[in-house]
Amino acid sequence: MPDPVPLRTRSYGLPLHPIVLGLPFVCFFVGMITDIAYFRTYDIAWKNFSDWLIAGGMVLGALGAIVGIVDLLRPAVRANRLLTPYAIAYAVAMVLALLNNFIHSRDAYGAMPAGLILSVLTVLILTGASALGAILLRQSLFGGVR
Amino acid sequence: MRALLLAASATLALAGCASKGGDTSQQIGGDPKLPDIQQYLVPPMHVVPPAPWGSAKPKVPAGMKVQAFATGLAKPRTVYTLPNGDVLVVETDGPSEPIHRPKDVAMNLIQAHAHGGGKAGMDIILLRDANGDGVPELKTKFITGLNSPFGVALVGGDLYVANTDAILRFPYQTGQTSITAAGTKLVDLPGGPIDHHWTKSLVASPDGTKLYVGVGSNSNITENGMDAERGRAAIWEVDRASGAYRLYGTGLRNPNGLQFEPLTNVLWTVVNERDELGPDLVPDYLTSVRDGGFYGWPYSYWGQHVDPRVKPQRPDLVAKAIKPDYGLSSHVAPLGMVFAANAAALPPQWRSGAFIGEHGSWDRGHLNGYKVIYVPFAEGRPSGKAVDVVTGFVEGEKAHGRPVGLGLDKTGALLIADDLGNTVWRVSGG
Repeated sequence: MPDPVPLRTRSYGLPLHPIVLGLPFVCFFVGMITDIAYFRTYDIAWKNFSDWLIAGGMVLGALGAIVGIVDLLRPAVRANRLLTPYAIAYAVAMVLALLNNFIHSRDAYGAMPAGLILSVLTVLILTGASALGAILLRQSLFGGVR
Repeated sequence: MRALLLAASATLALAGCASKGGDTSQQIGGDPKLPDIQQYLVPPMHVVPPAPWGSAKPKVPAGMKVQAFATGLAKPRTVYTLPNGDVLVVETDGPSEPIHRPKDVAMNLIQAHAHGGGKAGMDIILLRDANGDGVPELKTKFITGLNSPFGVALVGGDLYVANTDAILRFPYQTGQTSITAAGTKLVDLPGGPIDHHWTKSLVASPDGTKLYVGVGSNSNITENGMDAERGRAAIWEVDRASGAYRLYGTGLRNPNGLQFEPLTNVLWTVVNERDELGPDLVPDYLTSVRDGGFYGWPYSYWGQHVDPRVKPQRPDLVAKAIKPDYGLSSHVAPLGMVFAANAAALPPQWRSGAFIGEHGSWDRGHLNGYKVIYVPFAEGRPSGKAVDVVTGFVEGEKAHGRPVGLGLDKTGALLIADDLGNTVWRVSGG
């Protein structure tokens, strides 16, 4: 099909979830740092920080999921195929974080090393989700390659 | 996402039901069977909601009868008989613990559920049953305004009360029905702000020169940090004249029911062991306490079984950890003990051992404890399997009562403080 325009772009609806993703992400990230500190020093203060941060991340993450569901319900947002891997990554991270909350409810070093491993995995997956989220935002604002 | 959530909830459900616990009789005695450590996403829990006794009563074996000695109390937890036969009942409750982690919020709710509503007294009640018919004619407030009191011990004219944060001495004259004199502090004890195990059990040495006080740990397994455990998980020996103290026995997670065995004059205690290693770990126990002995907490249990939740570990202490004398099975929560030598009102077969009050489990699927047991003794040592004496505290899925402190009245009948049923029960022959 002949077409004078070499590059066709299309616009997508603005996804809201990548904007709020940072809230739980920061909690889990700092929680990972405090987990590392507890893992290395055995100082219980670090574990208490982790417990609160991972619980706080879970609460903010659950609120964020509501925003995510709104995104998924909007056809203009869903039109971007990257939304699916983004949503899956986020959901996996939240499930891991939920498990991590239970693991962290164990007393003292009983939360280790499983708690630290889950914290690292959560952060890694959310890092990937953040990258996808950045692309989703960029493509909705400036258009994406068709 | 839904599939993942389903998988997660299935895992949780699995964790919930594989945890009822096995045959508890294998953990009674000197060589309890110890399964492997299990850790859970959600530790096993089974909390029975309270229900009033109504017309129901605890059950006792043939040849005994049980009656309510006093009802309508406000969380009675200790019973203590004075030389003239007056019975002191300590109404008490623990201080509220500060919230350190999200888990504390959940645990507070669960514990409140198990302990029932109602506000505890902070008083000692005096009951006088002058004619010995098991019905007190007099009930007065003996000492008021205490701070989470638990242990009581009388030596001569000095009445000692172990508040959660100090031992107080009150002047006592035989026949007094209330003491208004202010108590004199003998020694501070480890109290708040955390005060996880707050009950300070108290007993005087047979010669009356020393007091022994049980000081429970400030955590399940060091989750409040080792700084919070200074002087805790120990039995203190306090000099009655000077108030000077030293740690007599250590590594005892939550020692209660301190008593001297009457034949040998050796100090014995019942100990609440650690939670969340499985429904059959760790057995609570009855043990004699050696001067300077270390009994494992927090580093190990039942001798040299290391608890991986404690870091840094102390292999030097684990190596010298003493195995307790007698396992009571896991999570029964023994809180009271009395030797039966003077139980003259009971049939003769119940007069040579120790009665133990088991408050009952919350962290295993099948309930354990919720009864008073009898451990037979011979020559000052446990000599056979424990037997149930007073049962019926749980009916179906409702708890009517939970035994705590035990004592003998002047007739030699067994008294049981029931902090859920708000009753003192009296068990006698007949």
